[in-house]
Amino acid sequence: MNRTYTLFELRRVFRDPVTLFFVAGLPAFLYLIFGASQDYSDIALRHGNVAMSILVGMAAYGAVTATTGVGGMAAVERMQGWGRQLGLTPLTDAGFVATKAFVAAVVAAIPISLIYLLGAFTGASGTTGAWTLSAVVLLVGAVTWSLFGLAVGTAFRSEAAVSAASGSLVIFAFLGNLFFPLSGRLLDVAAFTPLYGYAALARYPINEGYLTDSAGTEVAPDPLWALLLNVGVWTVVFAATAVWLVRRGRARQ
Amino acid sequence: MNDTSPPAVEARGLVKSFARRGQPPVRAVDGVDLRIAAGEIVALLGPNGAGKTTLSDMLLGLTEPSAGSVEILGVPPREAVRSGRVSAVLQTGGLLRDLTVRETVQVIAGLFPSHADVDDVIARTGLGPIARRKVSKCSGGEQQRLRFALALLPEPDLLVLDEPTAGMDVTARRDFWAAMRAEAAAGRTILFATHYLAEADQFAQRIVMMDGGRVIADGTTAAIRQRAARRTVSAKVAHPDLVAAALRSTAGVVDVVVDGDHLRVRAADSDGVARTLLADHGATDLLIADADLEEAFIALTTPDEVLA
Repeated sequence: MNRTYTLFELRRVFRDPVTLFFVAGLPAFLYLIFGASQDYSDIALRHGNVAMSILVGMAAYGAVTATTGVGGMAAVERMQGWGRQLGLTPLTDAGFVATKAFVAAVVAAIPISLIYLLGAFTGASGTTGAWTLSAVVLLVGAVTWSLFGLAVGTAFRSEAAVSAASGSLVIFAFLGNLFFPLSGRLLDVAAFTPLYGYAALARYPINEGYLTDSAGTEVAPDPLWALLLNVGVWTVVFAATAVWLVRRGRARQ
Repeated sequence: MNDTSPPAVEARGLVKSFARRGQPPVRAVDGVDLRIAAGEIVALLGPNGAGKTTLSDMLLGLTEPSAGSVEILGVPPREAVRSGRVSAVLQTGGLLRDLTVRETVQVIAGLFPSHADVDDVIARTGLGPIARRKVSKCSGGEQQRLRFALALLPEPDLLVLDEPTAGMDVTARRDFWAAMRAEAAAGRTILFATHYLAEADQFAQRIVMMDGGRVIADGTTAAIRQRAARRTVSAKVAHPDLVAAALRSTAGVVDVVVDGDHLRVRAADSDGVARTLLADHGATDLLIADADLEEAFIALTTPDEVLA
């Protein structure tokens, strides 16, 4: 991985206030409104409380917004000819991917650390294991979504499409149980949507898969295998789509 | 450069075909042999779609040839690119719009293990006054100069330029070629693709003319001009149609156009035609004009043109 190139890529992200707002500012704000200091915030879960569970959901939303954006912009940049410009340098394809993956991880870490820090001071509580493990799952799982961004960027070849993809994450986030607890039939459908497995897996260290309804009673748990299956299947879907689109794009050149 | 150094470009039987849905594949480059010695300045000339960009892409390792082989300075193109011995100004090289001119130079410089001084390159390409400007705020000509600066960073032995002055106004074009002359004087081998005949004529020592994916002419600028050469003899005669008929059956005459009481004759032996016109047909107002490169170009790239 090239140091100068990586530093410049990070600098580009940090001087784009709009991206930073959607990646970190908005989810942090949402956490403060819906997670901190609500009546239900202090309800205890197995290894934490409801505030912490909401915190994970908001951080997950910020993290995937970040990686979708990085993946999507990588695709758009390459197709707008920057890839050809880089092709005239010693930078390899693997080096490019490594740089972008690193940048995606750093950008995803921004909302996670910001919201976790806010949470720690505003009533979110949990065991050390719950804090650590959920953060690790959030960071690692977010990488999948750079493939989603890559696929959208490759398919539509425009910055607007990448913004639209990031925007569509709000819908996935609602359906994925990230923003507020779903119930009934909606919850049954939600379990198959792409953000559900990711968020539920990140919450697993807190609730061991047991969802809690608004009264604070535990409902039937999500088995670990089902959550892993959700994440696995969607990762394969995004990766296969991205590979197929990249190949198709290359053949057309 | 001594005699034992490998040629800057050595391409043999290069072919690149592209698959098309539901149609037979199109051969963008169709069997090109090209050898460019170190230090040469070569223009790659041809109409749009002649295969110039595809050929440059293969020389730079951006596209894999479907058949044939290519070596740059004795090594495969990718290796030459990695070691910074070849670089290029691409016609469609994208730039990151949110970086400044200087940052763009810094990023690309950082990707090379050793490179020219960033400020020096910025000065050589006249980018100093706009170094802090965002790429998105640069004109097409300024962006093209920036691509030129990026190409100079690795201090390449071979510089490939694909339509380098596209989008530049007259002044920018003149400044660009002045900067290019300085680079050429520093001993770099230069291959530039263009469809501006004047640029090829003024700047190149050798012209490789392409059409339909093939090299249709290759030689010094003067030789190419001569190849389609056929000077044009025009004169006023009393019975143009009769004279035209007589001339058409003369060997070496390419074509005869009657324009009122004037004749325009294109022929390899312009002196002979002139003598005949003056002596046998009582011609007046006789004028012999040298073919310019444009005529050579048209002659060589028009399929139904009969060449003597």
